[in-house]
Amino acid sequence: MLKRSLRKTHKKTISNEKSSSKDIKLKESDIPSNFEETIDTFKSIYSYPDNQDVVLRPIDISGINKKSTILFINTITDSKAIEDYVISPLLNNNDSSKKVEDIITIQSIKTKSKVGDIITKINQGNAALFVEGEDHAYLLGASNFESRAVEKAQNENVVKGPKEGFNEKATTNISLIRKRVKSENLVVESHIISKRSKNDLFLLYEKDLVSDKLLQNVKNRVNSLDVDAIQNLSLLEQYIEERKYSIFPTILYTERPDRAASFIEDGYIVLLMDNSPDALVLPATFWSFYHTSEEHYLRFPYGNFTRLLRILALFITLFTSSLYVAVVTYHSEMVPPDLLLAIAATREKLPFPAAVEVFIMEFAFELIREAGLRVPSPIGPTIGIVGALILGQAAVQANIVSPIVVIIVALGGLSSFAIGDISMNFTIRISRFLLLLSASFMGLYGITALFTMGIFYMVSIKSFGVPYLSPLTPSYASSGDKIFRKVLQKEILRPGYLKPKDLKKR
Amino acid sequence: MLIKEILGKFILVLFLLLFLSGCWDQKEVEELAFVIAIGIDKVEDKENKVRITYLISNPEAGSSAQSGGSQEPPREIISFVADDFISSRNMANSVIAKQITYDLLRMLIVSEDFARDENFIRWIYDATKSMEIERDIKLLVTKEESATFFQNNKPLLETRPHEYFEKILATGNEMGTIPESQLYQFFRITEADADLFLGIYGTTLKDENIQTSDDPQQITAGEFDFQGESNLTQFLGSAVFKEAMMIDSLTIEETRMAILLNPSLKPGFFLGTIPDPFDEKYRIAFRMENASPLKFDLKLTGGTPSIHVTVPLLLEVLSNHSMTGYQKDEEKRNKLEQSIEDNLNKEFNDFVKKTQEEYKSEPFGWSLLARKKFSTISDWENFDWMETYSDMKIDVDVQVKLGKFGRQSDLPRIEEIRD
Repeated sequence: MLKRSLRKTHKKTISNEKSSSKDIKLKESDIPSNFEETIDTFKSIYSYPDNQDVVLRPIDISGINKKSTILFINTITDSKAIEDYVISPLLNNNDSSKKVEDIITIQSIKTKSKVGDIITKINQGNAALFVEGEDHAYLLGASNFESRAVEKAQNENVVKGPKEGFNEKATTNISLIRKRVKSENLVVESHIISKRSKNDLFLLYEKDLVSDKLLQNVKNRVNSLDVDAIQNLSLLEQYIEERKYSIFPTILYTERPDRAASFIEDGYIVLLMDNSPDALVLPATFWSFYHTSEEHYLRFPYGNFTRLLRILALFITLFTSSLYVAVVTYHSEMVPPDLLLAIAATREKLPFPAAVEVFIMEFAFELIREAGLRVPSPIGPTIGIVGALILGQAAVQANIVSPIVVIIVALGGLSSFAIGDISMNFTIRISRFLLLLSASFMGLYGITALFTMGIFYMVSIKSFGVPYLSPLTPSYASSGDKIFRKVLQKEILRPGYLKPKDLKKR
Repeated sequence: MLIKEILGKFILVLFLLLFLSGCWDQKEVEELAFVIAIGIDKVEDKENKVRITYLISNPEAGSSAQSGGSQEPPREIISFVADDFISSRNMANSVIAKQITYDLLRMLIVSEDFARDENFIRWIYDATKSMEIERDIKLLVTKEESATFFQNNKPLLETRPHEYFEKILATGNEMGTIPESQLYQFFRITEADADLFLGIYGTTLKDENIQTSDDPQQITAGEFDFQGESNLTQFLGSAVFKEAMMIDSLTIEETRMAILLNPSLKPGFFLGTIPDPFDEKYRIAFRMENASPLKFDLKLTGGTPSIHVTVPLLLEVLSNHSMTGYQKDEEKRNKLEQSIEDNLNKEFNDFVKKTQEEYKSEPFGWSLLARKKFSTISDWENFDWMETYSDMKIDVDVQVKLGKFGRQSDLPRIEEIRD
């Protein structure tokens, strides 16, 4: 019944959809030859004068005595530049022999005749100049979108190394990368990926390194998108990834230009977009989520010490709470007598089984974390106090949880912050709960079984054709930057799994 | 679509399997009563029953955790007659509230009376059947009934029972006053049917008619005379088992020699004393350790089988009551070395002779070395180690090397002080 009724509602067609064939036809056509008609067409397209920030300014070009009109959207255009380099030269011209292109002193001028193309350019912040008697419009590059300045990277902090982070303006971001890769081989390709909002996507790669097959693969996937709007890279990531239900991320998301640049230099492809203070790096392997840029900025022993801490933290996060539950409920003979008796003593008066107890605390910890993230910053510090005091101290005193569980959950929670990447962080946190669940039902056997299944799964997934755990398994030629890194002078190979055109770094 | 549906159902079934079949041996730690030691005694007139004693640890005792830490006693002892120590668990639960578990079992204690019984082997082998009993637990023999032993044993400082037993046995092992005595060794030696097994010997009863003997090293459990305010329990010497039956007990010194002569054990530092060659009134204290591995020369085929053992020892002289100046006089040092060597040689050879004549087998684990000399198992079995051992020509040769003479080797000359 339910199914049938659902099917019925689903069948209902959306009736109020208007045909847009007229609009499409208009956009395909050239601009009308009649100057007045042209202006009227664009007035209607931009709903002038209802549209407040659309500016239409008629200009009589002195000298050559032609009527013209300049059209731009003043909120996304540099009005000062238009005034100085377009309007005033046009008005002050005395030379009757000069062409319009020569009178205007602005940096970039393009001519377009299709209505659709002109609209696109205007929407990108350019100004359009229509001149009487000419069958094309001049498009003047004066776009000026609002954006913040280059600031410190917020989420990927380093102590030693560059502090710059990407901001929401793609041109700034490209400039930040060009600053690091000063090479003519660095290509910045632009693709329009959405149908309605016409979002631009920039593909950055080194043309003498990147594998053509990989590049083609990425381009195909980006160009085959059929959506109205993709505002930023976080959304694009979900459109182009292969396994949308998987808990493992397959595209790296970084806000550090230095990281993006070093990936480009290894033959990876980097995606940039406006409105995204970050870059997407693809393909991504497990290791790229595990590494941070600081490990290469720190000297060899220090960097590897950090790596050691991180891999330990990874396993501590995954396994402490589940191991505790498994050992306490199924395998008490494994624990040294003193510890076992201490655990038994603290559990003596507790109302819940160990598994429930750990679940409660883990859940509470996740709550503190989420609350701390969402809470308005003025009352932020209270969250820490409330969380630590109420959940830690009071819960133990009220005999709801044992002190050992507080230690275990706090240790696991603390360690989970060592994985900096937000996606991998979620992966680890979710797997921790899955492991906890299997531990509470099947003990150590459950943990082992689930972990093995997880490893199987990780080996099976690929990111743009690259196995997730490569170069560890399957083994590839690479610089050996896996769990630990080598001395810089020994990292002489680019990752072989990318099939770069030039494997050896000089 | 169909595939997705089937896959979905399959995953659901897997999950159900997890939830329905999980938790089958789940047991929370606070629901368990941890038995630290089991005592087994003979029951008068009933050959098919044993008296089982449980020493149960109270986890809350001595715990400083906020939710624990009560004034409860650290242990609980329950003693009753049962068929064996496996089924006895259920019976104990009619008195003990929590489920009895052997997860933390560290010791199996039998009374000497029971250990000397020929039926002892029938009960001790139950330990191989139970899943929970680990093979590295200790086997202890007590002079009295084990039930009495448990009740008399009241450690003053290490009140938590597992802690007390672990500590005192580990220390005794290191000092060489008691053998290692793990259960699996007992099973292995019994089944190999060639050597003697040494079990830990202990008691809480002081032997009333002991006289302070000449040599404080020649004592066994119950013979250590001490006064003061402490626990009555003493673990000293070892119980000798031949073919899974206790036949005798060894003194501290004999236990130490048995450990030193055993090539499979790694002895620590042993302290001992011997008569001073320069003044028979006094004894010299020394610390000895194996300088290098033992050397064996086994001639088992052709004529009388003979074994020649070289025991290289490193000695540190730690007391010098005769106040002889060794450090500057090589002659004196040689005399000392010779005297120690003679002494130890005599002790070792006397002990070996004792094992040959009294026990007709050895507690040194030499049969493992001898086995290598035979090419087939039947050859070895025909040789019959236990039978042949008593007739073997055995020669122990101790080679002493003197080490330091204590932290300060020089002593003041007594004549100068008393002038």
